[in-house]
Amino acid sequence: MKKEKTKSHFVGVRLTEEQKKALSKLEKTSDLSKTDILLRGLELLSEYYSLGLDRPPLNVELKKLEEEAMHHFQELKRIKRREESVREMVQELRDIDKIIDEYNGDKSALIQILLKIQAKNHWLPKPALMWVSERLDIPMSQILNVATFYKAFSLDPQGEHLVRVCLGTACHVRGGPKILDAAEQFLGVESGETTSDLKFTLESVNCIGCCALGPVMVVDDEYHGKLDSSKVGEILSNYRMKDMDRSEDKRKALPIRHEMRRGQSG
Amino acid sequence: MKKLQSASDVEKLRKELLRKQDSSKSCISVCSGTGCHAYGCEKVVSAFENELKKQKLEGKVEIKRTGCHGFCEKGPIVVIYPEEICYLQVKIEDIPDIVSQTIKAGKTIDRLLYTDLKTGKKVVHESEIPFYKNQTRLIFGNNRKIESKSIDDYIALGGYNALVKAFSEITPEKVLEEIKKANLRGRGGGGFPAGIKWESVRNAPGEPKYVIVNCDEGDPGAYMDRSLMEGNPHSVIEGLIIGAYAIGSHEGYIYVRQEYPLAVENTELAIKQAEEYGLLGKDILGSGFDFTIKIHRGAGAFVSGESSALMSAIEGKVGEPRPKYIHTSEKGLWDKPTCLNNVETWANVPFIINKGADWFGNMGTDNSKGTKIFSLVGNVNNTGLVEVPMGITLREIIYDIGGGIPNGKKFKAVQTGGPSGGCIPEIQLDLPVDFDELNKVGSMMGSGGMIVMDEDTCMVDIARYFVKFLSEESCGKCTPCREGLRHMLRILDDITAGKATEKDIKLLEEISEVVKEAPLCALGTTAPNPVLSTLKYFRDEYEAHLQGECPAKVCKELIQYRIDPEKCKGCGLCLKKCPTGAISGEKKGVHTIDVEKCIKCGACFEVCNFDAVSKISSKERK
Amino acid sequence: MKSISLTIDGRNVKAQKGMTILQVAQSSDIEIPTLCHHEDLEPYGACRLCTVETIKNDKTKLVAACCYPVEDGLIVKTSSERVNKIRKIILELLLPLAPTGPLYALAEKYGLCECVKKSDEESEWRMIKELRFPAEKPTYCTLCGLCVRYCSEIKKGNVIGFIGRGVDRKISLVPEENCGFCRDCENICEGGKFLSLLEL
Repeated sequence: MKKEKTKSHFVGVRLTEEQKKALSKLEKTSDLSKTDILLRGLELLSEYYSLGLDRPPLNVELKKLEEEAMHHFQELKRIKRREESVREMVQELRDIDKIIDEYNGDKSALIQILLKIQAKNHWLPKPALMWVSERLDIPMSQILNVATFYKAFSLDPQGEHLVRVCLGTACHVRGGPKILDAAEQFLGVESGETTSDLKFTLESVNCIGCCALGPVMVVDDEYHGKLDSSKVGEILSNYRMKDMDRSEDKRKALPIRHEMRRGQSG
Repeated sequence: MKKLQSASDVEKLRKELLRKQDSSKSCISVCSGTGCHAYGCEKVVSAFENELKKQKLEGKVEIKRTGCHGFCEKGPIVVIYPEEICYLQVKIEDIPDIVSQTIKAGKTIDRLLYTDLKTGKKVVHESEIPFYKNQTRLIFGNNRKIESKSIDDYIALGGYNALVKAFSEITPEKVLEEIKKANLRGRGGGGFPAGIKWESVRNAPGEPKYVIVNCDEGDPGAYMDRSLMEGNPHSVIEGLIIGAYAIGSHEGYIYVRQEYPLAVENTELAIKQAEEYGLLGKDILGSGFDFTIKIHRGAGAFVSGESSALMSAIEGKVGEPRPKYIHTSEKGLWDKPTCLNNVETWANVPFIINKGADWFGNMGTDNSKGTKIFSLVGNVNNTGLVEVPMGITLREIIYDIGGGIPNGKKFKAVQTGGPSGGCIPEIQLDLPVDFDELNKVGSMMGSGGMIVMDEDTCMVDIARYFVKFLSEESCGKCTPCREGLRHMLRILDDITAGKATEKDIKLLEEISEVVKEAPLCALGTTAPNPVLSTLKYFRDEYEAHLQGECPAKVCKELIQYRIDPEKCKGCGLCLKKCPTGAISGEKKGVHTIDVEKCIKCGACFEVCNFDAVSKISSKERK
Repeated sequence: MKSISLTIDGRNVKAQKGMTILQVAQSSDIEIPTLCHHEDLEPYGACRLCTVETIKNDKTKLVAACCYPVEDGLIVKTSSERVNKIRKIILELLLPLAPTGPLYALAEKYGLCECVKKSDEESEWRMIKELRFPAEKPTYCTLCGLCVRYCSEIKKGNVIGFIGRGVDRKISLVPEENCGFCRDCENICEGGKFLSLLEL
């Protein structure tokens, strides 16, 4: 039964003009009255206190996670409002929980879990690593060691398209390095880096096992073989063209380059 | 799928599957390894499905997506059964013809058949193509006969018969004896006798015991294990179960590198199918023996293919090798006795159990029995995967099977054993290939990578390539390997840039000694091999670089691109392709390259139709 | 526990099963140089300075003394032409990275440098042989891992860790962990100034 909304007044509280405007906006846009909201707030606070979230160590952890969430989504230029980033972060952490539960929280499954997170996000966001550290009870130093040891992981957001040039021995003798040079030249970045418009991440790989097609370049899941350096620019610009054909609305907000990326102006 | 409760159930199933098979029914088998995926084999399969529908043959002709056939140079490969007609480099446009002419009318399409390089004649049947005829496709041959995602195909071919035999006819000890008698040596590169490894794990104190399949194939240019794991995963699984039975292990791991998604997919499916049939799990075929397999994916590290590093990775840690003074057969995964073997090693096991150690011993040399699968790649005509008996010569592999060097170029060297191996020159081509012979000339057979290099390859550049690879892939824990490779790379960079002196080569040799003698693991011990073998056989190339020349015209700092004014027709194609605008010239006039702007990408060299662009030594310019 | 008898540099020594060559040598006052070894930490085997020659059943091997478990009848040579050459080059490789007292002191024994008195209180290290393995600039880190291992195994802090691989391997502070500023890592570091040269 919907309660009739009465006009609000505050007992013993003087509101500024701005606060009055905000309150009237809230009442117009939400279904809840001021007293509904206050009651809800008190309920949440009582749960908050009973869980011990107001005291150390949980209050520190909670604050840390909230800050990481804000930082993370601001970096991605996706979400600005506090409640949105917290809500999104809850969803992301629940997704990670699901992955960890698939492996029954087994510490030795760390690499498998990180591979799934990498596949989902195309990089390993810091809050995700903190959560894994928390759930699996593995020190952050060890997780960072694993994340930087294996080439499959990236601690920075990657571009929309992953360009991999094969530099296996067979491709090397068939001119693989020239293909990499041409790709670097065309994209304006070095191997291991992402273009400043975040469209392409260029990487070299040590053998895809398609030696008969050498030299090979793989863009996302498409293989381009029997290349010579003159074809590289054409192939890559086709991806640019395909993207430009898509309407602006459908394009996802692109992640920005993390500052930790080794000195590159792109 | 109904669970198989006993050995006789397996036999019953096989008979039923064979009965259902109609050998007169046409079957189109399309090679679906990763290599052919890159060629677009999925589109070929869809095109066949559509065409069969169009020509009202749906349901009357079977389509199989088989494992890698090995003749990777000529993909997509389609073989029509029962006639075994082999079509190569099949395009979508060819499909309607294949269906109407070959399937319906029984005629062969000449343009799609293999042409013998020597006689010019067309070859119809797959097994008669010289590439295949000169091989002994024992392990790999079944790839083309089965649908990779089907356990029934494997069983119909006789699969899991060895498992039945091991469980019902012989004891675990007898299985072990048979493997020891066969002298099956590890196919991953080490060549250690598998039977002796199995025995030491079996006898080591401690439970549980683990068995591991190493599919972390890190050698660039080698993809044999991938094709086996993708194409015929059950052959490896069967070998693993038999091995676990002999050793007394109930938990197995298959470590597949992350770069092999199709192998992971097909292996996961194969494990599920085997579990459903009761070939994995509890009380397998009523024997009382339990065994389960888990898959662990790698995450991109060459060094994690080393056995102790691999075990660290399975434990969720970084893939750093550890000292092996106490063998992993005693203290391996989680400090328990562990038996790790390569994919191909496990795949050999069912054959040895089925046909016996004596039969196996008939192939190969005295100390290297059986066959070996090689990936023959690089500057060779017939790029692909070849399986040959041990003891065959390098020359036979490269020329009789590989078809020699393309584009009329001369052979220069063949690199074997990956980054742990060395380069072998022409004078050694008659060496038999086995575990021990290639070691005598500073290389090794390794896991099977065989990269052929022609006269346009710079051997110093190759040495630098391998050192760069190893410096990045080394775990970096121990000083000799990490710092040694760092400085070896620096010196090789200087040599390829023409900035080095004789002193630098001596220093290179001195560092190589320390890297070889004092590192933590075998990656370090074998790291100097590419450098030492190229210094041994191609020292003249190193000397030339000291004088500022790259004889093969590869090293960028030592070459210039030049347009011959007499040959240049002024077509302007090179000008268009040049990424830095270094080429200038009027239409129909002679074009020139501005040396200052030229980044030596070689695009002009590749596009010129008049042979007007050539590479010259930068000394000549001066 | 079973007693083991082996020979180190011609001397017969007794040991317990499970001991390493280094432990046996140290308890018998036989010197083997080390860098990444610490008696309170698990043997690491990274610096390879403790490389010694072992002979058993006529087979000679080079092993890291800090990790190799002793065997009955093992013959060990802690110093030989082969071993000394290896140690010399390892020190030549490490000195440009960490030109500090402890490393110079080790290098002096292999004829690479000498201690020269400047005044009554001051003395400095001078290279005798030219440095053949230049470093762009000293990192003051030999990647011996003492700090990482100490913080992890003894302090249970895990504030310092390794990142990267191969020639890009480095030490890094982990900001997410709470450092108690005990400074034990500074004290244990042989390579030089610790905290000031860390990369995040």
